[in-house]
Amino acid sequence: MSKNSSPVNENDLHAYVDGFLDPVRRAEVEAWLGENPDAATMVADWADQNEGIRSLFSDYRQDRPGDAALLSAKAASLSTPATSPRRAYWQAAAAMVLFVGGTVVGQVAPPLMVDRGAPPAPTAVASLPEQAKSAFLIYASDVRHPVEVGASEQAHLASWLGKRLDYPLDVPDLSDIGFNLVGGRLVPVSGKPGALFMYEDDAGQRVTVLVGRNDENRTTSFRYASDNGLETFYWIDGPVGYAVTGEISRERLQLIANECYRQFPS
Amino acid sequence: MPQGPDGHGPAPGHPSPGPGHFENEILALLPVLRRYSRSLTRSDAEGEDLLQDCVEKALANRKHWRGVNLKAWACAIMTNLYRNRHRRNTRHPAISIDEAMDLPSVEIQGDPLERDRLTGALNSLAEENRAVLMLVIVEGYGYQEVADMLDLPIGTVMSRLSRARQRLREQLTESNIISLRRPR
Repeated sequence: MSKNSSPVNENDLHAYVDGFLDPVRRAEVEAWLGENPDAATMVADWADQNEGIRSLFSDYRQDRPGDAALLSAKAASLSTPATSPRRAYWQAAAAMVLFVGGTVVGQVAPPLMVDRGAPPAPTAVASLPEQAKSAFLIYASDVRHPVEVGASEQAHLASWLGKRLDYPLDVPDLSDIGFNLVGGRLVPVSGKPGALFMYEDDAGQRVTVLVGRNDENRTTSFRYASDNGLETFYWIDGPVGYAVTGEISRERLQLIANECYRQFPS
Repeated sequence: MPQGPDGHGPAPGHPSPGPGHFENEILALLPVLRRYSRSLTRSDAEGEDLLQDCVEKALANRKHWRGVNLKAWACAIMTNLYRNRHRRNTRHPAISIDEAMDLPSVEIQGDPLERDRLTGALNSLAEENRAVLMLVIVEGYGYQEVADMLDLPIGTVMSRLSRARQRLREQLTESNIISLRRPR
């Protein structure tokens, strides 16, 4: 860094990537990056993100034939007190979906912009159910590629995931309680490789079992997290954290969690 | 109620715009709002649904618009709607299959695997972090503009932007490990 400039901080790096710096500061930040290769790599990654994200969504900036009609329909529905047919249709459709999904549990919409400050940094314990939930939401609904390695290669699956996680791993057998293995995949858990196993019952209901490293290395009891019908049981056993997630009853999920706990090496 | 970033209404005695004026302004903004709504959501159907809710809310609240910077005002409405509806709609989007099939498709550019990875990483972001990221990157707003628009301290905007970027980086790096070193 040149001697007369103020120190480069993270906000400068964001502004650099987003093109908000004046030429003088920009040159200073560039010089600093030349001497800080790790930061330079990070900034280059951010720039790639920017480009990728822009190209992902730029084509959505488009007119569509129904736009004018949409606007007049919405305007018209506001001038009449009765619920618009369209709105009623959407409400009915939403109710139907919720009913079919079987997730009618007291849903409370969060108040507008309730989060005014920065949330606390997640600890491994707090983030485990969040990560388990995300993994479930992303992969359990994936019809074509829910897993990377299928159940037919169970031995390979265990050794592959065990190798990637750096500890021996048995794939729990849940067939006694009605869930058959679909397969597994590698997923990031707290920034490290973790394993996600997916199971399915005869009705096609899926549950996932997430296994990940836990650097805090402290043991917890069984804990429970519930979010709009999506249930997660999780526990931490020394260096490894486990989370079982599914859109099924708490009782049934606990059966699965108990079974996993019994089968995973302690 | 979200406020525009300007803080200035029309001057007293300023003639109110004629009927249809506001609708026309919104109509002109629809392409941009469509892009923003899609950048927040996981699917085309969900994006259109959010866009429609935003239009409805904007029309219903037109008297709160201060007469300038309609885009920022509408984006603030969209962001609030997104945060309130996100959880229940991502898993069960309130849009029928028929409706979803009718949506015009958008030409997909680039390597589909790369797009999938990026999309997966974006979907792992917390809503409030994703919204800030998109307002900056896709909609081109400055940090202070985002802070004003969402009524947040600038420090919160920066920490959300930072969390979004770090999280994406972690996710994309992890995905790299998986796809490049997958054993036979």
